[in-house]
Amino acid sequence: MSQGRPTPEVSQVPREMVDFEVLKTTGARAPRLGRFTLGGRKPILTPAFLGNTSRGVIPHMSPDNFGRYAGSNGVYVALEDFVEKHPEKTPPVFEYNVPEPLRRFAALPQDTPLVLGARRTPPIPTPATHTNTAISLLTSVGYKSVSSEYYAAAARKLRPDVVVGMADIPFGQATISIKRKDKMSDRTEAWLRHLVTTRNTMAVAPGEPRFDIFAPILPIERDLQSWYLEHLLDDMVDSISGLAIYDAFLLDDLPDALHHLPRLSLHVPASPHELLRQVSLGMDLLTVPFISSATDAGIAFDFTFPPPETPKSSVRQTLGIDMWHAEHARAVTPLSKGCQCYACTKHHRAYIQHLLSAKEMLGWFLIQVHNHAVVESFFTSLRTSIDAGTFDAHVATFEAYYEPQLPEKTGQAPRARGYHFRSEEHAKKEKKNPKRWNGELGGKGKAVLEGAHGQQPEKKQEMMHVIDDEALIDLVGIEHGAEAVHVEDLKIEDDVKG
Amino acid sequence: MPMPSALSFELLGKCSVTKARAATLHLPHGPVPLPIFMPVATQASLKGLTPEQLEKQGCRLCLNNTYHLGLKPGQATLDAIGGAHRFQSWPHNLLTDGDSFQMVSLLKLAQVTEEGVRFLSPHDGSPMLLTPEHSISLQNSIGSDIMMQLDDVIVTTSPDLARMKEAMERSVRWLDRCIQAHKYPERQNLFCIIQGGLDLDLRRECTAEMVARDTPGIAIGGLSGGEAKDEYCKVVDTCTGLLPEKKPRYVMGVGYPEDLVVSVALGADMFDCVWPTRTARFGNAITSRGVLNLRNAVYSTDFGPIEEGCQCTCCRPPEDGGLGITRAYVYHTTAKETAGAHLLTMHNVHYQLNLMRLVREAILEDRYPAFLRSFFAKLYDDKSKYPEWAVGALKGVGVDLLSD
Ligand SMILES: [Zn+2]
Ligand SMILES: [Zn+2]
Repeated sequence: MSQGRPTPEVSQVPREMVDFEVLKTTGARAPRLGRFTLGGRKPILTPAFLGNTSRGVIPHMSPDNFGRYAGSNGVYVALEDFVEKHPEKTPPVFEYNVPEPLRRFAALPQDTPLVLGARRTPPIPTPATHTNTAISLLTSVGYKSVSSEYYAAAARKLRPDVVVGMADIPFGQATISIKRKDKMSDRTEAWLRHLVTTRNTMAVAPGEPRFDIFAPILPIERDLQSWYLEHLLDDMVDSISGLAIYDAFLLDDLPDALHHLPRLSLHVPASPHELLRQVSLGMDLLTVPFISSATDAGIAFDFTFPPPETPKSSVRQTLGIDMWHAEHARAVTPLSKGCQCYACTKHHRAYIQHLLSAKEMLGWFLIQVHNHAVVESFFTSLRTSIDAGTFDAHVATFEAYYEPQLPEKTGQAPRARGYHFRSEEHAKKEKKNPKRWNGELGGKGKAVLEGAHGQQPEKKQEMMHVIDDEALIDLVGIEHGAEAVHVEDLKIEDDVKG
Repeated sequence: MPMPSALSFELLGKCSVTKARAATLHLPHGPVPLPIFMPVATQASLKGLTPEQLEKQGCRLCLNNTYHLGLKPGQATLDAIGGAHRFQSWPHNLLTDGDSFQMVSLLKLAQVTEEGVRFLSPHDGSPMLLTPEHSISLQNSIGSDIMMQLDDVIVTTSPDLARMKEAMERSVRWLDRCIQAHKYPERQNLFCIIQGGLDLDLRRECTAEMVARDTPGIAIGGLSGGEAKDEYCKVVDTCTGLLPEKKPRYVMGVGYPEDLVVSVALGADMFDCVWPTRTARFGNAITSRGVLNLRNAVYSTDFGPIEEGCQCTCCRPPEDGGLGITRAYVYHTTAKETAGAHLLTMHNVHYQLNLMRLVREAILEDRYPAFLRSFFAKLYDDKSKYPEWAVGALKGVGVDLLSD
């Protein structure tokens, strides 16, 4: 993708444990540079970010395009994206009998580091409470409780590079009692211990890698998880290769004996500023869910680190361009000047604006490629800046130059898909994909299109008149079974259950 | 005076039994093999695929829709950017169809007059008029390698013979206006469209009129609108019988694999259809053994490729530089991630293009009848299931599918 990042050689040695080397640091609670190496995978210079997947793909990027345009990153994959509840059965991917089932199933490049966690990031709160042995997942077909045994077995079967230990975090709960926090600490300790035992007793062929474990650090005060942390230090620290941190501000309190470990952030940032804050606290690997949410809204990032040197303006600059705006319709310019990504070197704003307004899927893909490239070069430059000792100064100019938040979302996201339906939206009775134009033509009644004949239709009788063409849907009100037409035919199974 | 042409048709081989032909069509943006299937990128984009992904499936000629591009991005933008190739960064050939017009004609409020088609804008309800001159002007701005005349299309199944005749004759007059309006005949090829519904006399009359106008290529239009398949075959057979040998013949809107192979036997060279790419979004995979709906739970643990031996980006194993996508993974992503649709779209486009490549090889090696027999034997497990229309149509050109 965007040029610039020096890519070290892929190591040929079989993987044993993560090798993490801190290349530069100025003490605790300060930004640091490192090299994160998994045998056989592309080393990652840190701070860096992992691609955040949905059902095994970066949204809108088919795996070939991921390899071609974004494959230099590692990826974070959630087990809950692969577990189905109905029918009650073994998740299909568990039955895939190849050496690295998850990687192969999702067609991830061989050299891409693969991190598995139980939940997506950010996770959607589930109503079911956790128990001493299990957490609740949200699969595409509903809630499912998953025990620590199940999780450890999944890790053993799927063979990702890194497994994030299952953490007992009651997501979505505003206040958590002290008693509950105690439980969090107890359970997370037990679950991690179980994962470590499973991994350490795994029978593998000589030279065959097991998987590495990142221990979760709970988003509660250090005192309240001290029991867990003590045990972690006493008898598990040699078995873990990194930390998964749910609250970046707790890096302050991290025991010294854990400082050598790479830190993966599952603390959800809302803006580039927050990424900088996490980096300034010493985070190494970050997840950036706002990339895809900006892409879905048609927002193309437009920021660099440090910001361009321009005469001081009293107005702060926007962090992204809303590509829905008609002003881009004739602009034969890239999304960002100088950006070397595929979207910017091969296409232009006019086309991308057209694709969005025509609801063509390619539009979101191009913005997604660009947004990943912008964040990629953001990390490249902040590493340079840390190396040069100019990081703090650059952060200050960045904050002064850009607005504190990403722009408001005005455009429509692509047609809602599975995971978009999961959260609170379930409660609301609104249509997920509201109809746009209602087909009234000057009050003279509805324009009707009864199947796009002149093009061979679907063969199945019930599908004959179903139009699944955004272009056509946009042009005319379609009456023939309007519900079916409204791509409700692409039923998401959890809908059926209501 | 012969009409200038921006193509050359190189006939390479003819089937010694059927009317099938193999050729190379040299177009402004490079040569394309005939027979050919052309995927439809209605709004200058093919269901989420990048131009490179489309190219990798072997595509060198795809469709855009004149009317859609006329609305979005609009003619002024196309002019400013320098045409649709630049607009969508597609270095290969484009054909612009006007079947949008057919869609417009289905709007109850559309009205066809000698001047053109009057209808209310689907965007804001304002009155609009689409004329042959306007259609050509748009296609000149688009810069398509092959452009289609504006025609007056009636659903083939319409019982109104007088209206059918009127539409046919009007299409001929509109072709004259299109030829008149065409600004760049030396770099864009205008194809006529034969009309006349299912009435073979009307079709013959129309064919004679159209051929006399000597356009670089000839389309047979108004079909695939739900007419009986044997009627469809009669029309194609009748028209190709009257067409000059050295010009490409395009049957509009056809894309089912069995229709393609039969139509080729009847002497047609070019086809387009939205079906293969549209159906991908429903989770349907086209294979030589029929269409599989990969959203069916039986595929959730099927770890084979979409089709064994397929050389598309998805099906090829990683050892051969492909993705090694399994049916189970398509099941996992279809209708849940847009990328799931991208994967099946690549496969389906590849299937269609590869089918035509195999057809072409068979014609060049003069074994097309044998190809047809094995094609149908793969698609249907029993001869009793062969569609009657296909058996009948092929018998008419000397191939008996039912004999051993
Ligand atoms: Zn870019
Ligand atoms: Zn394939």
